[in-house]
Amino acid sequence: MPTPSSHDSGQVAIRAELRWAAVTLAIIAFLIAMMVYMSLHWATMPPARLETVDPTTLHLAGEFTEDNLGSAVESDGSVTVRLVGNQYSFTPQCLLVPADTPVTFRGTSADVVHGFNIAQTNVNVMLEPGYVSTFKTRFKKPADLVMPCHEFCGAGHAGMWARVKVIDKAAFFQQAGNARRLSCVE
Amino acid sequence: MAQTSARSTPWVAASIGGLLILALLAALIGLVWIPSAQRDTRISGLWNAICSAAGLVQPWRPARQPTAPVVQPSEVIVTATMMQPADSLSIGRGATLAMQCTMCHGARGMSRADSPNLAGQYEEAIYKQLRDFKSGHRRSAVMAPLVQNLGDQDMRDLAAYYAYLPREAPETPAAVPERPAIVTSGAPMRNIAACESCHGGIDHKPGSPRLDGEPEVYVRAQLKAFASGARGNDLYSQMRNVARQMTSEEIDAAARYYSRR
Amino acid sequence: MLNEDTKRLVLAHFWLGFAAFAVAVLLGEWQMYIRSPVRAWISDPELYYRAVTAHGSAMAYVLPTLVAMGFGYAIVELALKQPLIGRRWAWAGFILVVVGVVAAMAPVSMGLASVLYTFYPPMIANPFYYIGIVLVVVGSWIWVGLMSVNLHAWRKAHPGESVPLAMFASVAGAYLWAWTSLGAAIELLFQILPVALGLKATIDAGLARVFFSWTLHAIVYFWLIPSYIAFYTLVPRAIGGRLYSEAMGRLVFILFLVFSMPIGVHHLFQDPQVGAGVKFMHAAFTGLVSVPTLLTVFTITASVEIAGRLRGGQGLFGWIRALPWHNPMMLAVAFSFVLLGFGGAGGIINMSYQLDFSVHNTQWITGHFHLIFGGAIVIMYFVIAYDLWPHLTGRALKDMALMRAQLWLWFVGMLVTTFPWHVVGILGMPRRMAYFDYSHPAIAPQAMAVTMSFIGGLMLVASMVLFLLVLVRGHLAERVSLPEFRFSTPAHPTGRLPAVLNGFALWLGLMIGLSVVNYGFPIAQLVFLKQTSVPAVPIGTGG
Repeated sequence: MPTPSSHDSGQVAIRAELRWAAVTLAIIAFLIAMMVYMSLHWATMPPARLETVDPTTLHLAGEFTEDNLGSAVESDGSVTVRLVGNQYSFTPQCLLVPADTPVTFRGTSADVVHGFNIAQTNVNVMLEPGYVSTFKTRFKKPADLVMPCHEFCGAGHAGMWARVKVIDKAAFFQQAGNARRLSCVE
Repeated sequence: MAQTSARSTPWVAASIGGLLILALLAALIGLVWIPSAQRDTRISGLWNAICSAAGLVQPWRPARQPTAPVVQPSEVIVTATMMQPADSLSIGRGATLAMQCTMCHGARGMSRADSPNLAGQYEEAIYKQLRDFKSGHRRSAVMAPLVQNLGDQDMRDLAAYYAYLPREAPETPAAVPERPAIVTSGAPMRNIAACESCHGGIDHKPGSPRLDGEPEVYVRAQLKAFASGARGNDLYSQMRNVARQMTSEEIDAAARYYSRR
Repeated sequence: MLNEDTKRLVLAHFWLGFAAFAVAVLLGEWQMYIRSPVRAWISDPELYYRAVTAHGSAMAYVLPTLVAMGFGYAIVELALKQPLIGRRWAWAGFILVVVGVVAAMAPVSMGLASVLYTFYPPMIANPFYYIGIVLVVVGSWIWVGLMSVNLHAWRKAHPGESVPLAMFASVAGAYLWAWTSLGAAIELLFQILPVALGLKATIDAGLARVFFSWTLHAIVYFWLIPSYIAFYTLVPRAIGGRLYSEAMGRLVFILFLVFSMPIGVHHLFQDPQVGAGVKFMHAAFTGLVSVPTLLTVFTITASVEIAGRLRGGQGLFGWIRALPWHNPMMLAVAFSFVLLGFGGAGGIINMSYQLDFSVHNTQWITGHFHLIFGGAIVIMYFVIAYDLWPHLTGRALKDMALMRAQLWLWFVGMLVTTFPWHVVGILGMPRRMAYFDYSHPAIAPQAMAVTMSFIGGLMLVASMVLFLLVLVRGHLAERVSLPEFRFSTPAHPTGRLPAVLNGFALWLGLMIGLSVVNYGFPIAQLVFLKQTSVPAVPIGTGG
């Protein structure tokens, strides 16, 4: 059997490589299309807006003063949770949120970069001094969850664990009728 | 070695063109299509949505008047550089002012009673507490009248003076107890960081006082005050968050440990 | 053949890199031990963060830089067959790296710089830590310059010829490093050092993170390029095969040069200082940077298949059995590909914007980069050393059984360490905590997995010890005369190579252009925002 000339085998190799390159590009295009689809159709997105704030005066005036932190009901029935991270706790230390309701987290840091995730949910937010972070989510059912700080923030980072209490929607809105800002801090 | 060919224009055109198309496509999707599909009621209009996706600063909404009075834990802005480097003039003035403080806080800043020892305390901690006593953010029937006549520079001078004083060993040195776990490691799931990560020993956070050698009665009383909310001049509720989660035994252990150092 | 002084130069680079590696592996396993349920909580968490800073700095900034530099100098003489031009400069660069390492590690070991290798402003450490890192980077820039100078001299002596693939790839890696290191250099020189030296009191933390992200992703491709050079130019020759496609090899390195850098914002998906549209663009281009790896997998598998068939392997899979499995290089490439497969899949998850929410800043991320860098890449660093060692020492390297054992231990150890690590990440375990309360019901499920990672780490320590043992024995073995060092030969004659696959001008232009498109606006915007400079937080000041 005549052996193919080396030039032909070179061509075979090039064609094989190009076929594989096409497969590769198709895989990548599919992954990116998946990302686009999810971005178009899901409400949950990474922070979409750049807002700045002065971290040294959070306690004096503005959106993140002590009395304004916690869960607040908006006019459209959604809930906004405001929190501040500092070395080494999140305030409020225990967040109270309703199940099955759109919840928007808004937070910032008073000193260094912090961040948090809420176990068993997709809530994952960075808190940076000078910037306000926003994150929208929806909790499916009542639960008691932990919320650690997940960005190194200093020697006490290991002690920075907050809690999240997800309660029944009706119970939450009933409590909300009696208080301007809710939390589960005792 | 194989020779190279000079025909490169199709490559150049293809790679530049291809990259431009990719970038344009990604930009169109990321900066136009996706933001326009997101229903964010606070961003009106497509142009604003594009600007927001690019990362231009956008306010959340027009500032509203709060419906309740703002609760401020303190008026002081705490940063690492809030105190000027102390000079001898400031310390001298502080020494003069401190003569009114010696009855409770001791002639050399070391108290014989259960008032806090001020010698060798962090400068910004003393300054902040003086400011808070004067503004009423920290309530004390004893301190309030005494600070009414102190101006801002007076408080800075006093702070510089006491920070400069050497901390002396406790009068009745007892065997230093083993370092309790709450001091060295805290209790993470209750959101208690190690005391030493702010109060010195591991690291120091501006505004946190040094606790070494402070009277046991005083430390315990302050922790209980934070826990009950009677004292609330800690920024971002940091001490309230900690104290409220501590058990009585842990408060006792921490107070005893620090008083013996 | 290698010049005597060049041998010393390359050996110096490798030994310093591997010494730092050895210390870092020990520190790493100590950290595993500290935060596992095996040990009671450490009473001074700052010690843990000190170790993390040292471990990260050594593994990220010292080891891979020195390996790339040493390998690069060796390639200049072995591939271009000309003496290294600028050897005194090369030694100067090495001295700078040494000084930088000492300057950086001194404050770290004293507890004055526990900010982690990612710096994390507004936390600010002792200035000598940052100065040390800058010196290491500047020393490596001398290497970049020398690679360019040597290539230029070779081109003048060989007009119209195609650059040997090993040199082409090494120079691509050097240019990539020069461009990507700028981000961290800018952050250090213009933002962090002024504050650390007391000249300024505020810093824009968001902008610093953007500059660092500029470096942070592309640096892993700088780390990876020596390993890929080994895939293309060492492996086929070592196992008796041929390189399936040299043109594809060049294309792969070019793709890395263009696409590595302008994708760093995928490290900032959850950050508030970058717009969502910019994040999407970076995510899309991150997808493209996986293309050269996928192409490499095909090409190298084909090249290895050639080796198998040349040894008599028949049938669809018979060639696998016919491969020279006793050869450490064969083991390494197989292990590397397995680890690359898993690590790459994890990387694709991280890049997918929304999937990142579940894993950002959890231990999944740590598991991922240990798997892909510590696993797939470093395992090739080992065999690069093994392959070059006889030519550097002039002595035989015959501990084949030890080498195989070392590679097996690293491979299995890496799997045992990183797979449970990914699991605890999905369970939500956060990063960089010195201790965990494993008695709490939310954390208890993670205890077993963390213990498994600790055990895997013990295997890695053993492997590291074996590695050093092999290298040391390589210095003490009997002298041999060696045949000339060969790189792999292509399976098919390459014919005429397009000039663009032989030069860098076009690709550098595209790299810079794409960087401007993807990073220009976010950086410019943050630079001009005055209100985002926040007070610095010095650490390590209280004791």
